Amino acid sequence: MKVLVTVKEVAEVGDDFAIEGTGIAESDLEYDLNEWDDYAVEAGVQLAEADVADEVVAVTIGPERSEETIRMALAKGADRAVRVWDDALTEEFLDVAGKVSLLEAVVAEEEPDLVLSGVQAADDSFGATGVALADRIGFEHAAVVNDLEVAADAGVANVHRELEGGVEELTEVDLPAVLTVQTGLNEPRYASLRGIRQAQRKEIAAKELSDLGLSAEEVASALTLTEMYEPESESDAEMIEGDAGEAAGRLAEVLREKGVGA
Amino acid sequence: MLDYVGLEADLGEEERLIRDTAREFVEERVRPDIGDHFEAGTFPTEIIPEMGEMGFYAPNLDGYGLPNVSETAYGLLMQELEACDSGLRSMASVQGALVMYPIHAFGSEAQKEEWLPALGRGEAVGCFGLTEPEHGSNPSAMETHAERDGDEYVLNGSKTWITNSPIADVAVVWAKDRSDGGAASASGDGTVRGFLVETDRDGVTTNEIHDKLSLRASITGEISLQNVRVPEENILPGVEGMKGPLSCLTQARFGIAWGAVGAARDCFETARAYATDREQFGGPIARFQLQQEKLAEMATDITTAQLLAHRLADLKERGDLRPQHVSMAKRNNVRTARDQSRIAREMLGGNGITTDYSPMRHMANMETVYTYEGTHDIHTLILGEDLTGIPAFE
Repeated sequence: MKVLVTVKEVAEVGDDFAIEGTGIAESDLEYDLNEWDDYAVEAGVQLAEADVADEVVAVTIGPERSEETIRMALAKGADRAVRVWDDALTEEFLDVAGKVSLLEAVVAEEEPDLVLSGVQAADDSFGATGVALADRIGFEHAAVVNDLEVAADAGVANVHRELEGGVEELTEVDLPAVLTVQTGLNEPRYASLRGIRQAQRKEIAAKELSDLGLSAEEVASALTLTEMYEPESESDAEMIEGDAGEAAGRLAEVLREKGVGA
Repeated sequence: MLDYVGLEADLGEEERLIRDTAREFVEERVRPDIGDHFEAGTFPTEIIPEMGEMGFYAPNLDGYGLPNVSETAYGLLMQELEACDSGLRSMASVQGALVMYPIHAFGSEAQKEEWLPALGRGEAVGCFGLTEPEHGSNPSAMETHAERDGDEYVLNGSKTWITNSPIADVAVVWAKDRSDGGAASASGDGTVRGFLVETDRDGVTTNEIHDKLSLRASITGEISLQNVRVPEENILPGVEGMKGPLSCLTQARFGIAWGAVGAARDCFETARAYATDREQFGGPIARFQLQQEKLAEMATDITTAQLLAHRLADLKERGDLRPQHVSMAKRNNVRTARDQSRIAREMLGGNGITTDYSPMRHMANMETVYTYEGTHDIHTLILGEDLTGIPAFE
């Protein structure tokens, strides 16, 4: 069984940052592996360690800089990686449909039995890539998976899904499938020094649009990012100070004003 | 993180990943409880095998499942460990540089096969016995000795200030071989040899030293050897004389020179964060020139130490590193960490004296680091001899 794990290098914003145009100033950003994807990588590697998966391939969409992040996935045990990028992608905002087109082409090449993806990316938080990919490639899917067992021979994945209000759902999903992984599915390992050394010798295949048989028009975004701004924060919180008696008195006064106990 | 002249921007990808994974491990697995361990005088022993799994022990050595990373990567690892606590870096230094290194460099194939994989994984713990109660700065006057008896050696003597001896499975013990009455040695009282002594052998006791006011999150003890019999296969075959222990110490001090930068950096970052956050007289105390001068001085000293550490790694990598280079860096960088941790504590005011903040813990630790692995003064004299050709300690 082959597992494809989608990983994303996400931008993290520091405490102080400046907005430049429709983005955050490059100097205020730090890059890291998306937290949810870390769990997806771990799930893939555990399947390989249990001899359920024969190969775990990580795929990312990102510029050369993102190789360092995907190298971390290799250091944690993925066998090899594919990195998709093209100069044409630097110009415009890449929306979910565009990403799905790129991943669809990678899926066509790799023919995985299982695609693992983080529920969402920590930076743009669309939370849609995994599910939209399943729809496009005609795979079964389950979202927000927090427990996973794969019976490769039977061709099913038994998944727990976390629902609102502490309810858990147990589902059987036929393979091939796309699962979007929730944090807490497992305990992602740290990359060991040995793993980091080995990762230097693992392949990261760089693919451009033409390598995937795609044109810039086919991944062009229907969405346009129009503005980025910090919302004005309004706060009318009143801090009640003083000793217990004074504070209780003032609290009672406020509650009465608001109509409580009237 | 302070990296004022961008030295870490020039790191290779592998080195950056190693720094990041070490930083993350330490931040999540060790830092949350390190203040409590310091207060209780305990070491978080559960992380010993975890650090082994991470490859933190002797990662700059090759073979036997060891990762063979660059000297800079090794240095960065020591830096990140000591940014948490000197006890943590001491654990890795002793296991890697003082136990695995001599076995790797001077051991027989059988000794390497037996010990290096187990020590590397942290399944076995090692310690290094050189210092004695009456012989600190002058270890060549050691009294611990070995005498051949058939195909065994009989060891007698006592070692002290031994990191990890109470929890060690094996001790690298340096002792004078008096089998021929010591006649063959220059000193006339035997040639210094290294012995691998399993701590469960009859006659070995490893009492813990309590009541330390420094390096509290680290286990320290003695090694007492009373007619301890070890087979001749346990002698390190590849080295004779003080070159054996001293070459180990050069390795470990290289790690200390890097580690001290980490401790100092942690103090600086704590002080900087505190000063920009703490408000007095209607604003953050960082706006005061007195505080800014402290930060500027601290950042400059730390950057100087960091430069020295990086240069040391380059020299080591290409084989041009001399022990005197290491003496200069250990001496300078530990002094910097010792001085600046005190300034950082000062900036934190009363809050700085609790275990909630790291500077005073680092400050206390640095008292140990200042005088272990060659005291500051002895390193001064090593440099003095190197610069003048005249040894002041003879």
